Amino acid sequence: MASKSICRRCLKLAASTPTRSITSRAQHRAFSSTVSKQPSQERRIHHSSRQKAPEVESQRSHVPQDIPPYTTNLGQQPSQKHEDSSERTLLQPNNLFHPFTTSPSPQIRRRAATIRQNAYCPHPDHQATRSPISPHDTENRKTQGISPPAHVRHECPDCGIPVSCSEEHFASDYESHLEICDTLRQINEDDHDLVSGRFFPEFEYPPARFEEAQVNMTNWDTLLFSRGFEAVNAERSMRQVTRLLTYPITVGSVLHELSPYALGKEGRLTPEGLRSLSALRYTLHPPRTGAGVDIKGLRPNPPPVRLFILGARAESSLPREVWVQLSHLFPRVSFHLIFIGPESMANRDDEFPLPERTPSNPFGAIVEDRLGGQMKVSTYVEYFHTLYEAQHFAPFDPYFDAIILFHPGLGHPASSHEWSPTLPQLLATKIPIICTGYTDYDMQRDIAWVKKEAKGEMDVLLEPAENRFRSLRWDLNDLDPGDVSCGNWGVWGFRGKRYETDEYRGRDE
Amino acid sequence: MRPSQRLGILGNRIPQSSYYDQHNRPAAALYRARQPYLVRNAVTGVCIVGFVAAVRGIDTWTIKAIGQDDFSDIAVPDAPAQPPHTPNASAGVRSAGSAQ
Repeated sequence: MASKSICRRCLKLAASTPTRSITSRAQHRAFSSTVSKQPSQERRIHHSSRQKAPEVESQRSHVPQDIPPYTTNLGQQPSQKHEDSSERTLLQPNNLFHPFTTSPSPQIRRRAATIRQNAYCPHPDHQATRSPISPHDTENRKTQGISPPAHVRHECPDCGIPVSCSEEHFASDYESHLEICDTLRQINEDDHDLVSGRFFPEFEYPPARFEEAQVNMTNWDTLLFSRGFEAVNAERSMRQVTRLLTYPITVGSVLHELSPYALGKEGRLTPEGLRSLSALRYTLHPPRTGAGVDIKGLRPNPPPVRLFILGARAESSLPREVWVQLSHLFPRVSFHLIFIGPESMANRDDEFPLPERTPSNPFGAIVEDRLGGQMKVSTYVEYFHTLYEAQHFAPFDPYFDAIILFHPGLGHPASSHEWSPTLPQLLATKIPIICTGYTDYDMQRDIAWVKKEAKGEMDVLLEPAENRFRSLRWDLNDLDPGDVSCGNWGVWGFRGKRYETDEYRGRDE
Repeated sequence: MRPSQRLGILGNRIPQSSYYDQHNRPAAALYRARQPYLVRNAVTGVCIVGFVAAVRGIDTWTIKAIGQDDFSDIAVPDAPAQPPHTPNASAGVRSAGSAQ
């Protein structure tokens, strides 16, 4: 009856407090960073990640603050909650479209100012400001160079984002803008939704289920349903939730034995890929050993599965409850996520200064090990080749280790020189490397670069194509409003070439 | 906002899945989750129903086919004058007598 439900409620409050204390500090700055992550910016101007992305206060409306103190009268609570939230909501769900410069939210107005100060008008009459990055880049059209480059000022009335320097240029370039106008409007509404201060039920992630509950990895909807998420009915909520979850779920979807990628042309997995993944799945789906909590139930435990996330930028600041979703896909497996990269502390300013370099921690890594017992997260602000040459992680074991690169820009002209010393080492470790990319062109460029640099010493594990668990939300690049991208659009995998010993056939030398 | 809890007649909480709305109809998320399987399951269902219908059809035809047999050439004996009360006991006495 009434008392039973109250006890359940205070049990729920008590049970969720420990995780809240772990993740609350991660939530605040992490959510702000990933919401305002500008992927192409970091790819293009790799050293300017210092540019602070505007903070988003959506963490205010997370569950921890919204649970009201329980009362004996159940009828009182809903009205109390409604009052609190209506004072905090800035925008109603039907009022989410505002031009950026006149937005009710100060963060978005600041963002509009950033765009107006930094982005250049894409009209072909201007002179080019940078070399084009892809065949679809609008800089390709700027061949004539009639007028000097001008910053964007004029906002499109349909999408509310400044895209042109003047109305004349906007009108004459309208067809190319029409291609992305709908997407830009969607981005506009989604960004306003994040600052609207509403209650976000979609950001309550479920805990791990019992082991026999299988997860269905056909698409996002079946995955969320089989994992026990609360129903995400609205498309906008789906976009918001997949934007963060794409990082752990992409990794999980490739490594899990029920992954949608299988042998065959449609399944995209190559036989070499099956070899590498089978070795990993041997550890990721361990047989039952009869382990128990008493002395008789002691069993030797394998070392954790190490996932090296190289070139980590905003991924390292994702809320830890998002990363812990990866460990919920694999029961009885412990994970060690290692974020390595010069920008791995992006948007994590609260955690500075880094720990001192001591003999037991020679590279001053930040280690977070209170994440529920199944996962440990370490962050190294170093290049991978430094750690490799110091043999800090040696030996690499193909049964336990994998390398993940989230949109590394391997072939991107601005960042490929940083990957050149690292690539031969990655291939020498012989562990599978899972790579994602923003677009198909991005991925193909990365593959071409790897093939050229490796000189044939690499095997493709997973053919590149669209990632089933890509972010459904499109992100705007503040330095170029015409460049929209979505996180982890495509995924592919490679590994150092494996040579088989073969029978000596008696060749004459 | 979360919908307020559903209460039963006794005031207890009725467990409510977020995948169904207030009138217990599947919500959009459930429909999307089922979508890859809708056509396949419908075809499977039609096949099963068709199979059952075919079996029923075969059985009814079989019974009808057998039922067409003509039994008019067999004479049905008349009903006995006295209905036997204890057929087992009288048969036993008679046989005991004949054995002796």
